Amino acid sequence: MAAALRAAKGLRLAVGPPNLGERQQGLALPFTRSAFVAKRRNHDQPNWFGVGLAFSTSAALWALLFKQHNEDVMEYERRKEERQHKCTGCS
Amino acid sequence: MVFLPDESRSLPPPPLVNKGSVWLGLTGWIAALLDNGFNHRPIIRAGVHRQILFTTVGWFVGYYLAKRTEYVHAKVDRELFEYVRQHPEDFKAAGI
Repeated sequence: MAAALRAAKGLRLAVGPPNLGERQQGLALPFTRSAFVAKRRNHDQPNWFGVGLAFSTSAALWALLFKQHNEDVMEYERRKEERQHKCTGCS
Repeated sequence: MVFLPDESRSLPPPPLVNKGSVWLGLTGWIAALLDNGFNHRPIIRAGVHRQILFTTVGWFVGYYLAKRTEYVHAKVDRELFEYVRQHPEDFKAAGI
């Protein structure tokens, strides 16, 4: 079976440009051009830009979270004081 | 629909280590570990920056979700107690 497949592959490679049929006009070129290019990814070097972006985003998010939490605590304490002030009156 | 109305700020804010943050932080970390697994990388040793980022995002979102949860529960409690206060005849303790 392998030999037959190899023979068939040989036959396929020997064929020239694809057969368009009588209806279609124009040249059938053996190659086509495309705007899309694929690059083989090389993972030997770390993606330092991505790593830096990930760490800086994490640091920014933690900073924002700490800031938000502190602001929330201050606002809660302030409103608690305000409520006591209102309820008990100016003592 | 506002995510956190102004009156939610009158409630005590959830601590930085809260159920929502811990759970979503954990899901973020597991997502990063899964990403490593699906891409044939060492599960815990690879992409530590990714693990930290996903965990942080989960923790961050979890904090805001916990705040909203507290607000919704407090609002329902307020409406419940207000109803009980306005209908005392329906809530007479047994035997009185």
